[in-house]
Amino acid sequence: MSTQIPAIRLRGATIGYGDVPIVRDVDLTIAAGEAVAVLGSNGSGKTTLSRGLLGLATVLDGEVQVLGAPVGRLRERGRVGYVPQRHSISGAVPATVREVAGVGRLARLGLFRPLGAADRRAVVDAVAAVGLADRLDDPVAALSGGQQRRVLVARALAAEPELLIMDEPTAGVDAASQEALAGTLAAISARGTTLVVVTHESAPLAGVLTRAVVVDHGRVAYDGPLSGAGHHDEHLHHHPPEREPAGYRLDQPTVTPGPRAAADRER
Amino acid sequence: MGLLDYDFMQRALLASLMVGLVAPAVGVFLVQRRLSLLGDGLGHVALTGVAVGVLTATSPVWTALVAAVAGAVLIELVRARGRTSGDVALAVLFYGGIAGGVVLLSLAPRGQATNLDSYLFGAITTTSPQDVAVFAGISVVVLLSVALLGQRLYAVSDDEEYARAVGLPVLGLNVVLAALVASTVVLSMRVVGLLLISALMILPSAIAQLLARSFRETVLLACLIGVLVSVSGTATSFYTGTPSGGTIVLLAIALFLLVTSVVALRESTARRRHRRRVDVHDAHPHEHGAACGHPPVPHGDHVDYDHDGHLHAPHRTGRGVHYDEHGEHPVAAPPNR
Repeated sequence: MSTQIPAIRLRGATIGYGDVPIVRDVDLTIAAGEAVAVLGSNGSGKTTLSRGLLGLATVLDGEVQVLGAPVGRLRERGRVGYVPQRHSISGAVPATVREVAGVGRLARLGLFRPLGAADRRAVVDAVAAVGLADRLDDPVAALSGGQQRRVLVARALAAEPELLIMDEPTAGVDAASQEALAGTLAAISARGTTLVVVTHESAPLAGVLTRAVVVDHGRVAYDGPLSGAGHHDEHLHHHPPEREPAGYRLDQPTVTPGPRAAADRER
Repeated sequence: MGLLDYDFMQRALLASLMVGLVAPAVGVFLVQRRLSLLGDGLGHVALTGVAVGVLTATSPVWTALVAAVAGAVLIELVRARGRTSGDVALAVLFYGGIAGGVVLLSLAPRGQATNLDSYLFGAITTTSPQDVAVFAGISVVVLLSVALLGQRLYAVSDDEEYARAVGLPVLGLNVVLAALVASTVVLSMRVVGLLLISALMILPSAIAQLLARSFRETVLLACLIGVLVSVSGTATSFYTGTPSGGTIVLLAIALFLLVTSVVALRESTARRRHRRRVDVHDAHPHEHGAACGHPPVPHGDHVDYDHDGHLHAPHRTGRGVHYDEHGEHPVAAPPNR
C-alpha cells in the first residue's frame, strides 16, 4: 500500500445512467488508506457516484480512475471490493454463508480457475472477520438481517481488496451488528485498506471514518474532516441550523426518522 | 418379457437417464435466477427447428438444436439491451416459435412421418441409436460446462449486479446458461416432449430445495431426483402404456407434494415436541451476542445468556434463531428489575 497512486481520482467527472447525468463535474481524490464517508440525502447522487466507481453507472464525461486505471479497465478486479445495498441475500435456492462469501473470491480467479486451498482459507478468514465463523455452513436464510449484511461484507473481503466500496452498510441493521461492523471496518482500515462508505448516517461508523464528502444535487458540497461535515449534513436533513450549534455530534447518533425511512425506500 | 429385452426400451431408458441427470443440473440455475419458464419458451422455439428439419429431410434433432441455441442467444441479447419491452420480445419469439413450427410441419409432403404430438409430448420409443449418440454428446458437454462454470453461473444467477461489479463476464455467462438450457431442451425432446421440458428442469430443483441446506447439495440432490423420476417414469409408462413425458411429470409432481407435506409435518411436530420439552422464548427482541449487554454464562457444551435472571440458550434452526429457557440463573436478578 506504499504506492503514490491514489485509490480514487475523479477529474471533472459526470456520471449517470444512459445519457442522463446524475452527478456532475466532480473533482475528488482519495489517497490509498483513507477512510471516507460519502454523505448526502436521498437522491443526492451519492449512490450513483459509488456505482460510477464500480462501472455500474456510466461515466459520461471527465475522468474516473480507480487504483490507477480508468473504470472498467482494471485488470485485477479483486482489488476492488463492493458491498451493495441489499436487505436480504437469500435467493430462491438455499446457499450457505461459505458459498455466498466464496462468490467474492471469484473476482481473483478469472473465468475458469476453481477455488484452491488458499482461496478457501481466505473465505473462512473473511467470514471470521465479520464475526460469523460459527455460522459458516448455515443457510443464509437462517441468519438475521444484520447478519446477512455482514455476510455481504465478508463476500467483499474474501477477495482481500485494497479498496472497499460499501453502500449503506448500516441501514436497517441492529445495534449489535452495527458495532460488529464498525469493529471489522476499523481492523481492515488499520491494515491499510481504503474505505469508501456511502451512507446517510455516519454516526454508527464515526469511529472509523475520518473524512467526509457530502454530495448534494449531484455536486460535491463539502469535502473535509468528518467532524466538519455537520453543517452540511444537518442542512441536508432539513434541520434548522441553530438546533446543532457546534458541528457534528460524533458521540450521538442522529435520530432523523424522516430521511432514514425515505432512504430505506431508496432503490 | 422384461423391460430390457427390447432394444427400443434400452435406448429409451438410456435417454431418460441422461435427461434426468442433465435437466435438473441446468434447471437449478434457472430457479435461482427466477427464470423458470425459459426452458418452456425455448421448447417452443425448438419446434420451428424440428419443422425445418422435417421439411429439409435433415435430422430434426440437429435443426432443433440450432434453432433453440439461436433463440437462447437472441433472448439474452434482448434482455441485456434492457428496458425496452424485453418481455414482449420474448413473447413474440416464443409464440412465433410454436406457430412457425405448426405451420411449417403442415407443409410437409404427405407420406412423411410428421406426428406433431410426438414432438410436443415426447415419443421416447422412437429414439434411434443416432439420437442416443447425439444425446450422449449433449449430456457430456452440458455436465462439463456446469462442472467447470458452476460457481460463476451461481454468482451471476444469484446477484447479477454484484457479478458485474467484480468483473465477471455477465453477458457471456448468461448466454452460456441459455445455450445450456437450449441444449437440454433438445435432449429432453424425445423423452418428455417440448411442452413438458420445463417440468423436468424445475420440479427436481423445487423438491431438492426443500431438503438441502447448501446450493451444492441442492444441485446434487436435484440430479438424483431427476434420474429417479425420469427412469422410473419411463419404466412405468412401458407397463401402463401411457406416454412417457406425462408419466414422468406426474411422478415428479407426486413426489413434490409428498416431500412438501412430509417436511411441513416434520417441522410442526419437531416444534411441538421441542416446545413440550423446554420453554421457548419466541419473538426475542434482539439476538444475544458479545455486544448485547447480557453476560454470557457457560452451560455444558454451549453458552447461555443471562437475560435479567433467565438463562437464554440460542437454538439455531433452519428458520433462524430462537431462545430456549434454560432455567433461572443461580445468582438472582437484581431486586428492582
